[in-house]
Amino acid sequence: MTDSLISPENGDGIRPAPPRKRKRWMVWLAILGPGLIAANAGNDAGGIATYASAGAQFGYRMLFVMLLVTVALVIVQEMCARLGAYTGEGLMSLIREQFPLRASAFAIVCLLIANLGLVVSEFAGIGAAFELFGVSRYISIPLAALVVWAVVVLGNYRFAERIFLILGLAFIAYPIAAILGRPNWGEVASNTFIPHMLGTKEFLFLVVALIGTTITPYMQLYQAAAVAESGNGPAEYRMVKIDTITGAVFANFISMAIIVATAAVIGGSGPLSSAKEAAQALEPVAGAGAEVLFGIGLLGASALAAAVVPLATSYAVAEALGVERSVSRSFREAPLFMGLFTALVVIGSSVALLPGNLISLLINMQVVNGLITPVILVFILILANRRAVLGAAANGPRFRVAATVIVVVIGVLAAVVLAQTVAGWFGLG
Amino acid sequence: MTHTSNAPNAITHRRNQRTKRLLALEAVAESLLSVSGLIGAPVVHSSGTEVGRLVDLVVRWEGEPYPPLTGMVVRVGRSLSWISADKIGELEARRVVLRSAKVDMRPFERRDNEVKLVDDVIDHQMVDVDGVRVFRAADLFLARVGGGYRLVGADVGFTTLLRRLGPARWRVRPHPDRVIDWAAIQPFSDPGEPVRLTRANNELRRLRPGELADLLEELGRSQRQELLAALDAETAADALEEMESDELATLLREVEPDRAALLLSEMEPDEAAEALRDLDEGTRDELLAAMAPEDANDLRKLLGYDEETAGGVMTTSIAVFDADISVAETRRRLIGYEDILRLESIVVLDSNGTLLDDILMVDLFMAEPDESLRSLTGTPWPVTVNVHDVLANVVNAFIENRGSSVVVVDEDEKPVGRILADDVVDSLLPERETDRRFTGLLS
Repeated sequence: MTDSLISPENGDGIRPAPPRKRKRWMVWLAILGPGLIAANAGNDAGGIATYASAGAQFGYRMLFVMLLVTVALVIVQEMCARLGAYTGEGLMSLIREQFPLRASAFAIVCLLIANLGLVVSEFAGIGAAFELFGVSRYISIPLAALVVWAVVVLGNYRFAERIFLILGLAFIAYPIAAILGRPNWGEVASNTFIPHMLGTKEFLFLVVALIGTTITPYMQLYQAAAVAESGNGPAEYRMVKIDTITGAVFANFISMAIIVATAAVIGGSGPLSSAKEAAQALEPVAGAGAEVLFGIGLLGASALAAAVVPLATSYAVAEALGVERSVSRSFREAPLFMGLFTALVVIGSSVALLPGNLISLLINMQVVNGLITPVILVFILILANRRAVLGAAANGPRFRVAATVIVVVIGVLAAVVLAQTVAGWFGLG
Repeated sequence: MTHTSNAPNAITHRRNQRTKRLLALEAVAESLLSVSGLIGAPVVHSSGTEVGRLVDLVVRWEGEPYPPLTGMVVRVGRSLSWISADKIGELEARRVVLRSAKVDMRPFERRDNEVKLVDDVIDHQMVDVDGVRVFRAADLFLARVGGGYRLVGADVGFTTLLRRLGPARWRVRPHPDRVIDWAAIQPFSDPGEPVRLTRANNELRRLRPGELADLLEELGRSQRQELLAALDAETAADALEEMESDELATLLREVEPDRAALLLSEMEPDEAAEALRDLDEGTRDELLAAMAPEDANDLRKLLGYDEETAGGVMTTSIAVFDADISVAETRRRLIGYEDILRLESIVVLDSNGTLLDDILMVDLFMAEPDESLRSLTGTPWPVTVNVHDVLANVVNAFIENRGSSVVVVDEDEKPVGRILADDVVDSLLPERETDRRFTGLLS
């Protein structure tokens, strides 16, 4: 036997085995880590709109809030990763096993509402992206819904996923734009590190939207499931933890770059009203091409999430109901799964078609997520506190206090915004 | 996940038969008691005075098809007490009547092999061996069998779940719309429990490797480990060969290295090599180190080949014989060969160790015992491929050969392995997205 066993790549007529190709790509993703992917899923259509709007409306003022949100995100994602690594189960499965059925049902309903909100915002994002290219949303959104549905049900999901991921990479331009936009770095620093808050209704509303888009129930589900399914257990937890924390920090670094880049160009101009405005933030990088670059990024991020969010939601619900992965068998054999997926896509895209401003719809949906986040966080906190679930890896006393404070603060903010919104409906705002 | 879909009717039939049998026992159907309906029910003395409320029911799990009820956990005032089953006079749909007017209660302590139905079983994953699927029990049913109560079935109905969401009185009537006979169920112990309750259901042995693979893929981590531990290495290895590669890689990372190494050496070498390829280098080296040196060496050799060449898809388990031995001698040696049932042909070597011919078992069977193997060789000479040949050449060899396998040789024309047609089919198929669309989503 010779030593030169590795032959060079062949350019032959027969296609090399595709499953193996996929595996290489998966290995790359595994290195990238579920933490990084999970946290960066926050930078979807809703995230971009909310961060850009924060920059447009309040300049650099939101940066301090984002710093706090980063701490909260790290703590929450770490708990989810720990639950996934130590139990090998997804969040919904743990909730079903550890809580009374009625509590589990409540969690499912909350999750469905939050994620439906996300689906709406992804389709709104697709609509907004196409409007940049001069295509009416009444054409682009129904078409996109059809394509997303068909790709998942009939087509090659992974191929589409790759394309959307690559398109979404356009947003890496933001940190560069933040530097080239010549922001006032002194102000950036003071607004990031010197504690401050604005008591106004608009500020609070946007804070809850920021929380909702950054600390989403969807990401928590994803984080736990991705770790559980990676086969990484307690022995590998140190690596998982590093990946999770890096992912959360990196994601929020991009989010803050979006705020800075937008603030530098159109800071103080009031609430964001269109994707065109948001795109201006990329002008320092792309010049006249800013709108195209922004449109491509928005389309990629939205389309990917428009497929993944309804899929992951159906998966989580199936997991809680115990039909588990039977869902992967076929359409006919998984009516619940496919029905739920179809309903989410149809309802989500229909809501995005309602007349009105797409960008404010996007932000409103993040507020819905922000209102539901504390509910799911309570479940996560209880699970992570329980020794019956995590054994010695359960939250220690100090961690428990920190996490509880975070959940309570998020809960109070959500309650205040909810009260204000309800009061607003009755003309009391 | 396609393994089971070729026989859905058989599965449905098997399940229906068993359920029918369960419900046909009239006494059983009449007296099915819903566990979720009983929970929270008053526990009363024979005189009718209330002692407390039922919190949980405990059964003993020792491999019997229908585990007996050993007692119950009752909330008395603010504390939890244990009442053993022999004190139970009668279980009614919404009431537990005790045998005597007086019971002494003591705190509950879990004994070996005992499980709490509400805490550990309802809503947890289990396997329906007849239906070959993983489910979560929406409800459990007890029935009076002989002198005591036993766990006889689990309910998987969605409507049962909905009923449990409603008020307690909705749960009274057991609605055995989709009952699975407990004898066909493989339950698992609670992940947090130190006591492992594994009692492998004998019915598991009837499952085909593909069916076991499906179950392994669908279960959560701790349940999967438990199922795997309950199977003997050979059965487990057969199932592992049928698993999707990424699921298999995950599973191998989860198992203890020694056990994983054992499973890998039980697998077909080409399947084991493919599984190892999917692992990171650290885990791969660890597993190879835990293996018997000769197994590890074989696998290392296979891993050395590019996975898109003949060496990457071949199996090294081939039967090789010298051309100058007799047919009788060959047959005698084949008897000891472990994979004889899968053998379709044997490789015959020339005196210098190079490949001479590939002889079908059928020809060997038909030959006279005292003939030499050499006398069986001749045209058509076998089509071979070199270990470094790309898959395209392998496919061409199959087209030329029209057989079910081709022999792989090295530079010196010495046989090193064999490629079976189905291995090539696997690598030519486009990604089977239809099977894996959703399960791979989160990994």
